Amino acid sequence: MNTFSYLTDPSIRGLYWPGVLTGIAIALLCAPLSVLVVLKRLAFIGQGISHAAFGGVGLAAVLGLFGASGTLAAGAFGAGLSESAAGLLQFVIITAFCVGAAVLVGAMSGRGTRADTAIGIVLVASMALGAVLFHRARANTSWESILFGSILNVGFADVLRAAIIGGAGLLALWWGRRAVLFWAFDEPAALAFGVRTTAAKYLVLTLLAIATVAAMKLAGVVLATALLVLPGATALQLSARLARVMVLSVLVALVGVVGGLVVSFELNAQAGACIVLCLVAQFAAALLAGTLATRAAAPSPGASA
Amino acid sequence: MEYRGVSFAYRNRRAADPGESRLALENVSLRVAAGQRLGILGPNGGGKSTLLKLTLGLLDAHEGEIRIFGRAPREARRERLVGYVPQRVEAELSFPITARQVVEMSATVGLPAWRGIDASTREHCRSMIELVDAAAFADAPVGRLSGGQLQRIMIARALAARPRVLLLDEPTVGIDVSGQKRFADLLVRLHDALGLTILVVSHDIRTVASGCDMIACLSRTLHAHVAPEGLTPGVLADVFRHDVAAIFGELHVHAHPADACPLPHGRGSG
Repeated sequence: MNTFSYLTDPSIRGLYWPGVLTGIAIALLCAPLSVLVVLKRLAFIGQGISHAAFGGVGLAAVLGLFGASGTLAAGAFGAGLSESAAGLLQFVIITAFCVGAAVLVGAMSGRGTRADTAIGIVLVASMALGAVLFHRARANTSWESILFGSILNVGFADVLRAAIIGGAGLLALWWGRRAVLFWAFDEPAALAFGVRTTAAKYLVLTLLAIATVAAMKLAGVVLATALLVLPGATALQLSARLARVMVLSVLVALVGVVGGLVVSFELNAQAGACIVLCLVAQFAAALLAGTLATRAAAPSPGASA
Repeated sequence: MEYRGVSFAYRNRRAADPGESRLALENVSLRVAAGQRLGILGPNGGGKSTLLKLTLGLLDAHEGEIRIFGRAPREARRERLVGYVPQRVEAELSFPITARQVVEMSATVGLPAWRGIDASTREHCRSMIELVDAAAFADAPVGRLSGGQLQRIMIARALAARPRVLLLDEPTVGIDVSGQKRFADLLVRLHDALGLTILVVSHDIRTVASGCDMIACLSRTLHAHVAPEGLTPGVLADVFRHDVAAIFGELHVHAHPADACPLPHGRGSG
């Protein structure tokens, strides 16, 4: 029962609670976004945006914002900054890269370059830049913690950031829900109906970017996008009603985060990887249930084109 | 609605001379009185879609101007005066929403975020769904609808915004003759019930002949504009000849040089 002692033992609980709370805040924002990501086929865009963080990580490393302990928020050395200031600066730089990548992909795909081509270009450009800068900086940070994250990366400042991002993100999404929904459902017609499609597109892309950054310390660059795909994909297997899909996707995301963290505590495994595996397990179960339900209901093939 | 000397050219980026461009519409003038039904007939590439985009304010005319109930197209779009039914449904049909939600989606565009959909808007959507005969499948997921059902929902979606003009882009593509007849009846019903101004764009003469009371032939220039005295067989024959001329260009002109009706210049001789 590692979980119980990790979360209650006064000497170590301060290390784990931030990760748990951050995970929950991120799950609440990512769940409704993931429904849009799946329906609007933005999964690859999400990958591109999260990998663009490498460029930001590289720049932060060159500026000396990584500490000797090798974690993302270990504090400044060489720059004379306090730990929290360095952490904030790091966050701002990485966010700028991700939002920049999102806006760039949006702008390029609106000007004749196909969206997947634009992502392919922005993704490798930012990763290559990150690799060069990171190497030059000779930072003591391990690639592994950036790629796959670690619960020990997450501090109370990150909880605060995730809560603000989650709250503001959900509010913005609710505010623009009608335009976003129309844009996602029927982009070519939405413009003719007076929907502000450009605003809807950049709202969703920006939210994807900041949600990814918020998830990054916990789940890492590679796995941060899992929460932006799997809850929605799972929920859409289970229902064909939008309201129900949204609720289900929030439940799936919460079960994934909490369940994944419990598994990681018990097995002493990486938090991000366990969360992803827990989400994938739920998706597999939903897929199986959906397939069995359709088989049982009717022999006709699904006629949705 | 009024089009006064409207011209539009797409910039040709690949041309050696960057100033060189392809004229899609040339000096098109047209008047549609409120409540009239106009069919615009023309071959593919004849500028029909361009005319629609200009009307919707998605493109701006290079010359001339368009007025829709006295307003410029962009303004008309903001005021949602023009309802639009696209040619192909490019919506994500895997969306977990019902046909009714699609219709209500259009009725709530521009509603402040904090306000929910009210009872009268809901009722309006319901009556539009009934008007297009879609009540039977209104609560089915949108992905389960047939092509014809989906088209009726798309018309109800356009009407839900309470437009004064309805624009239909190639509404009968891929629909068989009996379906076209049903579509023509639907158009008549909409017109009678709502008093809408209706613009139908099509390359199929049957579509525009069955549901409209005026026809214009468009092949870059508007070369036949039938006055609103109704579609008599003589007028239709005339329109048909113009249509053929637009498609085959000079070929037809050479074949019948002494025809009583002065044929419009085709694209080749333009």
